[in-house]
Amino acid sequence: MLSRVADSLFWLGRNVERAETIARILDVNYTRAMDLYSQRDGRSEKLWRSVMYCAGFVSEAELPANGKAANEVFGFCAFDTENPTSIVSAVRIARTNALGVRAELTTEVWELINVLYLYVEEQKLRSVMREGPSKFLRRVRDRAQAFAGVSDATMSHGDGWNFIQVGRYLERAYMTARILDAIDVANEPWHESQRMLEMCCASAPFAHASDHAPGARDATAFVVLSETFPRSLRFCTREIDEALHRLSRSPQGTFAIEAERRVGRLRSQLDFGSIEEMLVDGVSTFSRELVREYELLTRDIEASYFPRLPVLA
Amino acid sequence: MLDLQPQYAVAHHYDELYLPDGKPRPHYEALAKTLARLGREEILARVQDVDTALLQRGVTFTVYADSEGTERVFPFDIIPRILTAEEWSRIERGIQQRVRAINAFIYDVYHSERILREKRVPRELVYSSKNYNREMINVDVTHDVYIHVSGTDLIRDDNGTFMVLEDNCRTPSGISYVLENRDVLKRSFPDLFDDYAVCPVDDYPGRLLDVLRYVAPRGSVQPNIVLLTPGIYNSAYFEHTLLARRMGIELVEGRDLIVVDNVVFLKTTRGLSRVDVIYRRIDDDYLDPLYFKSDSALGVTGLMNAYRAGNVTIANAIGTGVGDDKAVYQFVPEMIRFYLDEEPLLDNVPTFDCTNDAQRQHVLANLDSLVVKNTNASGGYGMLMGPYATVEERERFKDLIAANPRDFIAQPVIQLSSSPTLVEGGMEGRRVDLRPFALYGRGVDVPAAALTRVALREGSLVVNSSQGGGSKDTWVLQ
Repeated sequence: MLSRVADSLFWLGRNVERAETIARILDVNYTRAMDLYSQRDGRSEKLWRSVMYCAGFVSEAELPANGKAANEVFGFCAFDTENPTSIVSAVRIARTNALGVRAELTTEVWELINVLYLYVEEQKLRSVMREGPSKFLRRVRDRAQAFAGVSDATMSHGDGWNFIQVGRYLERAYMTARILDAIDVANEPWHESQRMLEMCCASAPFAHASDHAPGARDATAFVVLSETFPRSLRFCTREIDEALHRLSRSPQGTFAIEAERRVGRLRSQLDFGSIEEMLVDGVSTFSRELVREYELLTRDIEASYFPRLPVLA
Repeated sequence: MLDLQPQYAVAHHYDELYLPDGKPRPHYEALAKTLARLGREEILARVQDVDTALLQRGVTFTVYADSEGTERVFPFDIIPRILTAEEWSRIERGIQQRVRAINAFIYDVYHSERILREKRVPRELVYSSKNYNREMINVDVTHDVYIHVSGTDLIRDDNGTFMVLEDNCRTPSGISYVLENRDVLKRSFPDLFDDYAVCPVDDYPGRLLDVLRYVAPRGSVQPNIVLLTPGIYNSAYFEHTLLARRMGIELVEGRDLIVVDNVVFLKTTRGLSRVDVIYRRIDDDYLDPLYFKSDSALGVTGLMNAYRAGNVTIANAIGTGVGDDKAVYQFVPEMIRFYLDEEPLLDNVPTFDCTNDAQRQHVLANLDSLVVKNTNASGGYGMLMGPYATVEERERFKDLIAANPRDFIAQPVIQLSSSPTLVEGGMEGRRVDLRPFALYGRGVDVPAAALTRVALREGSLVVNSSQGGGSKDTWVLQ
């Protein structure tokens, strides 16, 4: 597979996943801000600040008072073309990458991305907020989730598909780690754990898997260590590891490139470590370390598979 | 009801649907009936679906006039243009003959120059062509094939006889619209096909692949074939992706290729992989910064050396532009007589050569009745439609022609035939041309997959997509 094509497929997978996650985070928080978090004790601002943090906006920005916060955050996280991680930007990047590798994609996959792109480009902040943003966010999520299904069902599961997989699970793990960092649930009331679970799409799977009186520690442990929940750090890391080994054809448990070594270390930490030792310095410290690891993993993958190509003027 | 009575007078030029007495031609009768039965509302509703489908599929081209290069859907008119088997057979033979002659001409001007030595074509004309490429002198290409893919633009005169308006021997585009138009029409208007046996078009990519395999450098058993595109901002990018996908070959950009020791390789995730055939959709000038434009980022450094060493086939060959130069065009009938010893089956449009003093004087004196074309431009850019131009435009062209006569030719305004086209309010005649494509491998193959372009503006004679043109599905009857 061409290095350029591999590069594009990796970022296609990442950015579709990014759009989906941002849409879900916005939806969860917008709905919650309407009742539970609406009291005037600063909860609402805290909520929106954590959303901004997840979306990659890390400076301590002043958020306007209650009524306006949602609009600001939506403008930034959904529609700001200057913000490379907004929904609009993620979808544009995904579509540009898809266009560059159009010949590698099935018609079904291409049309899905193109229709998502055409839809998102048509939307305006004002009208989306007027009719309630759920409809918009829902469509973005549906389309982005359909991408996973359609690409699995119509593409050959060869190198190209594996690069999409690596991109998708790396982004998913990265965002899960960021959410854990943004909402440190350790000493908070249960509804904060519930919000974190919903942002990770983990509410129902967690309820099924847990005891009758779960605590914040259980919620965190589920999102980090669940073997079967497809957004847990452990699950995602395993998928990245396996896709990388399918690409390099080196046996599991060994490494051929630096990225496999790094992800292998991470995987054994998540497979064999206990939640107590992981969280000994708190959720934030732990999740920040993981965010850093996933960033380094991206760098390792780029170094092995997409050596810098000359850029078009 | 769709108004099926022609709004257009069929007085002077040829109409595809109506005979001069206002009755439909026999091969259009069934189509006209089906359209009338469907009715206006139904047709318009389906047209809406067609437009949405084309946009979602991304069947678009890029318009460069806008600062960003905007993607637009190439307008598609759902009323097909129908050619009878007899008409097509004449076209097919005429194009085969023409393409063989031009290919022989290109071989000749880069080898023994027989046609120049015998003064059948003026030497200065060839040497002054911007697309005559000295690097190609005495370079041998596989099976002596230069123009693997060509598109010949045909128009009808007032009597309905097809004439050649221009040849395209470099990187002609449009085949993707042929393929997509047929696919979309079959899905949205299946009823139109009821009474017809139409030749399929979708074997084109397979036939092109056969040619590309055939011309691989001698010795390559399983040739690795790639399609080289300038990238996503090129106006024909959609076509490049479609052809690469349908042929199952890699779509590459210049930055994906590297030349090592005169061999071309792809940069893959598993290292370098040898390339045998490049179907390129990039102009000569951008192919290799060492030989051509040194600031080109689209090409591949060292490609020309690999080509001259015979390690890679480039299709079309480099330097074929000398064969479709608009000033060389007037000599194509002569080439047919010279190389094939045959009489041309398809006529040229009369052409005035601005390098000839008498002819230039005539052109300058009659600009208001002539079409002036730049000999090296294409796509409807850089031309003057004399009768419709302003006085200033005509004056500007006078100066241009006087300064660089070799850059211009002039032709009388040909009316083109009209074809029924869906417009607001019903159906009207709009002018059309026809671009059949020829594939040159073992012989010249002319698939029944031709592009009909239509000038959607009332009265307009310019069919180029950049100038408000659209396209139609073209039916060649079996």
